[in-house]
Amino acid sequence: MSVLLVLALGALTYGSRAAALVLMPPPPSWLRAFLERLPAPIFAGLAVLPLVGADGTVRTSVPMLAAFGAALLSVPFRSLLGTLAAGLIGYAVGGLLGR
Amino acid sequence: MRQTLAAAVPVALAIAVFGTIYGATVAPLMGGGFAVLASMIIFSGSLQFALAGLLVSGAPVSATVITALTLNLRHILLGAALRPRVPGSPCGRAALAWFLIDESAGLALAARGDATQTLLVTGFLAYLSWIIGTAVGTLGAALTGLRGISEAVFPVLFVGLAAISATRRHVMARAGVAVLIAFAVASWWPQGRGLAPAIAALLVALPGRGE
Repeated sequence: MSVLLVLALGALTYGSRAAALVLMPPPPSWLRAFLERLPAPIFAGLAVLPLVGADGTVRTSVPMLAAFGAALLSVPFRSLLGTLAAGLIGYAVGGLLGR
Repeated sequence: MRQTLAAAVPVALAIAVFGTIYGATVAPLMGGGFAVLASMIIFSGSLQFALAGLLVSGAPVSATVITALTLNLRHILLGAALRPRVPGSPCGRAALAWFLIDESAGLALAARGDATQTLLVTGFLAYLSWIIGTAVGTLGAALTGLRGISEAVFPVLFVGLAAISATRRHVMARAGVAVLIAFAVASWWPQGRGLAPAIAALLVALPGRGE
């Protein structure tokens, strides 16, 4: 891997971050409504990715699945710290059960 | 500011642990100094881990660029979602864009107060954590005992970010459907798993009946 490639990848990554945030004018109301519906599904999609291996199979790590399940149970409380705490507790319980 | 820090610090700690694992993993492949340089310039955990895998497999440059384009697509969507909440000059937004990562965007979108401040503080702490973590990892701290828990932190973190981003019941329902679609895409098309969250989000965010 060369410095040039790292610079190119850095530029691609920054470009993707800046494209909409810098260049996009304030969106009209219909587009704004659409954009407001995007983040939660994106994060939900990102949450599930670590549970699927690079070969497409479900990862069978009991602690990780327990952490994920506990995090899901905390969703109604809508607290990031609460979800992190629930996930860590789930991970610990999963670790004990997986022994 | 206190609320922003309370949410940002746990995120930064998780990123530091992940950065340490990244540094320990790639230092033998590319050298410690180069690994830190890559973290400073690219600042994207998912992309950098994917690159390490491509490096090991001897993939061509074209595969590397395609991977970067695929994984970065979601940044455009997150930037677009943030745009209405981030006023200011184009130069100011250009500087802020450096700190737009999944975690900072999530906290900024959910922030009740100043989204710009949340994006800046969370992103800056995450950037520092990622670089310091990488550097520590290249010095030999693999933190193998924490590997499992750090891998589990990210799905949990994203569940939390989805929960606080879903301000309405129908958005929560859409997020639930997005989980199923992303899971299906990642399972049936593993090579395109980086696109799964963006594909799922675009599909479920389309206007529904009566909207």
